[in-house]
Amino acid sequence: MARQVMSILPENLSVVEREPDPHAPLCVRRLTKRFGDEQILDDVSFSVEEGESLALLGHSGSGKSTTLRLIVGLEALDGGEIYLHGRRVEHLRARDRNVGVIFQNYALFPRMNVVQNIGFGLRIRGVRRKKRAEVVERMLSLVGLGDQRDKYPWQLSGGQQQRVAIARALAYEPDVLLFDESFSALDPQTRVSLRREIRALLRRLRVPALFITHDQEEAMELGDQIAILNRGRLEQVGTPDEVYNDPQTEFVATFLGAANVIGGRAQGGAISIDLDRTLPVVGSLRQYVEGQDVKVVFRPEDVVLGAPSGLVETPYHIGRGEVVETSFAGASESLMVRLLTKGQSGMLQRLAAPARYQTGALQRSETPGGIVIKVLRTKWDARRLRLKAGDLVSVGLKTFKVLRD
Amino acid sequence: MGPFTRRTSAQLNLRRVDLARPFGVGLVVTAMLPLVILPMASVFIFGFSKGPLHFWDALTNPAALFSLRLSLWTSSIATLCNVVFGLIAAYVMSKYEFHGDSALMIMISLPTAIPTAVAGFALLLLWGRSGLLGQFLEQTDVRIMFTTAAIILANIFVTFPLAFGVIKPALDNLDVSYEDASEAIGATRWQTFRFVVLPSLRGAIITGALLTFARSIGEFGSTIMVSGNLAMKTQTAPLYIYSKFNEGDVEGANAIAAVLAVMSFAIFSLIIFFRNRLER
Repeated sequence: MARQVMSILPENLSVVEREPDPHAPLCVRRLTKRFGDEQILDDVSFSVEEGESLALLGHSGSGKSTTLRLIVGLEALDGGEIYLHGRRVEHLRARDRNVGVIFQNYALFPRMNVVQNIGFGLRIRGVRRKKRAEVVERMLSLVGLGDQRDKYPWQLSGGQQQRVAIARALAYEPDVLLFDESFSALDPQTRVSLRREIRALLRRLRVPALFITHDQEEAMELGDQIAILNRGRLEQVGTPDEVYNDPQTEFVATFLGAANVIGGRAQGGAISIDLDRTLPVVGSLRQYVEGQDVKVVFRPEDVVLGAPSGLVETPYHIGRGEVVETSFAGASESLMVRLLTKGQSGMLQRLAAPARYQTGALQRSETPGGIVIKVLRTKWDARRLRLKAGDLVSVGLKTFKVLRD
Repeated sequence: MGPFTRRTSAQLNLRRVDLARPFGVGLVVTAMLPLVILPMASVFIFGFSKGPLHFWDALTNPAALFSLRLSLWTSSIATLCNVVFGLIAAYVMSKYEFHGDSALMIMISLPTAIPTAVAGFALLLLWGRSGLLGQFLEQTDVRIMFTTAAIILANIFVTFPLAFGVIKPALDNLDVSYEDASEAIGATRWQTFRFVVLPSLRGAIITGALLTFARSIGEFGSTIMVSGNLAMKTQTAPLYIYSKFNEGDVEGANAIAAVLAVMSFAIFSLIIFFRNRLER
């Protein structure tokens, strides 16, 4: 697995794996969970720092919900440790851990109104009525539901229900707040505005939070750090910038936004890509054996297109291409470009594409022969050089990443 | 509008000639007549045939009143016991998996399958003077058979599965996320049960109680076996009706029959009302 990567952006050199700090508000170490023969979680470690939020991102079945359930204490782990503000809790029952959870369906108690729901955590802790009412009032104004206090859950909208769930969890001052894909049931507009609101609220209160999500946009917006989970293994943990611009594995590269992946080989101090072009490499080549296959990863917005005859004004020119299709999206233009290669005879020939080359996340080339990459241009670039299907272009890259094959 | 939605009557009316509708409705009503409507009407017609005063006399006869009170009393106790037992049993069967749980499930549901006379007889064989356990009680002053206690015991037996049968599905349908949330918030299992689970079972508990009570009020077969049918002592309302009829006192039987009919009708109306509220 590619632990160290070479990148042409000098500030993003190798990311060193660090052992998470057990005194952080939330810290999990070497979490393991099996179900029968299936390994659901394998050696997962991460931490959430004070006042920070972490987004645990992955597909369904990647183990992220299981991780949440293990942290909350609704399920027992097979191996590993869980710390909350320095105390080991993996052997404690959920009710002794002092965590706040916002479930996917919010789980507001249907026979209690908003006030009673919010006050529940205090009531079972024996807090007296007067004190309880004070705290509930404070919570209501915090989430902006003062005028809904007597309503019952079925009378509230999804967004309101989630706010009640948050207030209910915050009322008893938990160590950490956990969100279990709680935005997935909302319509897109509410989702976006509620996300922003909650982000601001958590920042203000400096409550550490863990967001479980499968939506990479959500992860980027909510998380100070993002941890990407793939079939039970943690592929990378980092800031949104780090995981987007410096992905350590192909999975991370293709999960967060679209990515183009083409094959290459380490040869004579450079990376030779299968288009009879080479890309220079900054940094040490020692980690790659001569002749070793590597993957070259770049994002659609990293591609520059120019007139077929001229050189493209970027440092890395990878050859010529043919526009397959264009798609206008207001502020940007999305294109699919088939890369062409120069054959022995000097004529432009189409490359027979082996199956392992793929454009990330979105489309795969339907027609045989030729690697198709996805390109994203701003509308200004599109105006400067108008393109349509069938046009020839020269293709260059502003930046790229090299990963082990 | 998919292929499996029911047609509204407006849609049905689009058919030019729909014979099925008046025919179907007519058939149902006609069947109801001899089966349900007329017998019930007869009770009231005959009951008041000699005038309301006569009806009232037959009703306020001390043995009659006693039988009504006894029925209400024994049914209430049996209902209380069975709702509590049913709640506990439903919780256990719903939450826990263990070896033999399907066998236990069958045993819990058994009383509905057994003829009530057999149930009463079985109780006699157990608790009667020379019964399996009853013989040991002979030494003491404790006598169960042919007392009010026997009636209550028989009622508990035959109506046991009813409350359970209503509460368990309601428990099964309760989203487990409420209990997860409650536990994450910090509640003990008892607190979760008391504040989260129980309130959600309100409808099922009431329906279960009404069902048990209605069934118990009308219980005859097992009661007549274990009670001894002693007037003013262990004679419940159904037994009173039976005895009066056998003695030839049709009016006496009639009055209590009318009361029981009205009571049952009221209880079942309540049950249907609550069932509709449960559907919310």
